[in-house]
Amino acid sequence: MPVGLQTEPSLGVPGKKRWAMVVDLRRCIGCMACVCADKAEYDVPLGVWRTTVKVKDTGHYPNTKRHFMPRLCNHCDNPPCVRNCPTQATYKHEDGFVLQRYERCISCRTCIAACPYNARHVLPKNRDRVKIGGVVDKCTFCNHRVEKGLAPACVQTCLGRSRIFGDLNDPNSEVSRLVARHKTVVLKPDKGTRPQVYYIKPDRAQTEQVFSAPQSYAARSDAQAFYQRNRGSKFFSGVL
Amino acid sequence: MFEYMDYNIAPWGHEIVIYFFLIGAAGMTFVYAAAPVVFGNVFGGAAKSMEPFQRVGLIASLVLLAICGPLLIVDLGQPARFLYPILYFHWTSPLSWGSLFLPLFGLCIVGFYYGSIKDNQGLMRWTGILGSLLALSMPLYTGLDLMVNQTRELWSNPTIPLLFVILSMSSGTAVVAVIQLLRGQLDQRAAEFLHAFLYLSLAVTFALFLAEWVVLNYGTGEKQQAWEIINQQFAFKYWGMTFLIGILAPLVLVAIPKLGRDPKILTLAAVLSAVGAYSFREVLIYAGQLTQINF
Repeated sequence: MPVGLQTEPSLGVPGKKRWAMVVDLRRCIGCMACVCADKAEYDVPLGVWRTTVKVKDTGHYPNTKRHFMPRLCNHCDNPPCVRNCPTQATYKHEDGFVLQRYERCISCRTCIAACPYNARHVLPKNRDRVKIGGVVDKCTFCNHRVEKGLAPACVQTCLGRSRIFGDLNDPNSEVSRLVARHKTVVLKPDKGTRPQVYYIKPDRAQTEQVFSAPQSYAARSDAQAFYQRNRGSKFFSGVL
Repeated sequence: MFEYMDYNIAPWGHEIVIYFFLIGAAGMTFVYAAAPVVFGNVFGGAAKSMEPFQRVGLIASLVLLAICGPLLIVDLGQPARFLYPILYFHWTSPLSWGSLFLPLFGLCIVGFYYGSIKDNQGLMRWTGILGSLLALSMPLYTGLDLMVNQTRELWSNPTIPLLFVILSMSSGTAVVAVIQLLRGQLDQRAAEFLHAFLYLSLAVTFALFLAEWVVLNYGTGEKQQAWEIINQQFAFKYWGMTFLIGILAPLVLVAIPKLGRDPKILTLAAVLSAVGAYSFREVLIYAGQLTQINF
């Protein structure tokens, strides 16, 4: 596998692939099957996630709505995590994947600080079945499956066909057609990361950081608990 | 009900704040210790007042460094790989540069100390100049480590590295003032020298504090969100520990002409400014991480 640390973006480059994902939010039913598939594929430990589906309730009874927002690594074309990694443990593959070399990662968590999408986490040190631990992990777009011609685990299992994966450089791929036909949105485009996960018809409450603050009492309480737990009151941030 | 299942835990805790504080103090302590050799007769030989501090300052700097290094290593998820930032050096990462400069800085301290024992002026001058530059790079790289995160707007600010260097001046002055006062060697000339640096660092810190206030209030949505988090979650640390105790009180003390040059008052002001230097960093580091958790 070619290892390009800061490879040039392959989007639109003839002869190269640019893997990307389209998430059609009209089709997401919040079943969390993608989260489960991902947990099963990688034995993701409790408390951390490679992919999630964020749920948000808006409005007041009886005019309420529940929004679902699948979230994962955006495999950016200008990834700040790659630039900031001091050991070149995280790198950009020439086909667009942003990947992690576990054997190099020192778990300084600089990449977690750099990621605007909250897509990275630290694996616990002592794990029963999988020996990889004490390092930073993330979604890989299931590159091991993609290289064998399979779809990523979350895409394979998505029963509403909300998640669609493919090569954006191929004009006949489904992702290309969807991106061409629909008005798509990427998360935090103003950060200059050039993310490659495209959303169809998201709600403003989900895509704009300032407007995505917790609204319900329960959500606010959860946020408060999170603040108190994670404001640096623990050594090693309680992660190791 | 699932709104918060997706938060991955904030990455940097106490030890990073302590490290940022101590490495700044270590760097500036070395600059003071090496000042008589590096600056010599510049500014009327004012730096010569630090001559009695030279050896003890080097030891203090080395001790602080000896705390910082292991603290940073233990903070890693893989402490055994602590040399990887040098072995797999990545030039776009400030952390790589910091990892390279940290041992070089330690070598300069040892080299300078060796030169002072052997009375080797040439060695002292070179290690003093190089060590002072590396000493300044310590707080600078910690600030850059935050600044390069373009996606965190509280950190992605060119004043952060400058602020961290200035804060290290305050904490370094506190180390020197406390040590010299305890040794009974904080004479009028030395107090005058330290007073000038403390006054300057506090005035610049005050200006940067105000600048931060304006930028956060007049800034983008994320900056305003950061301001809200600072005022809700860190109000006491920001306004009490940082502004009142750490900036305003010592600034008033050093601004009063006769009072500010009194060795004991100067030491008190320096210690207060060091408290502010710690607290300011703490608030910035933690609040910067929290801005994204609602997203």
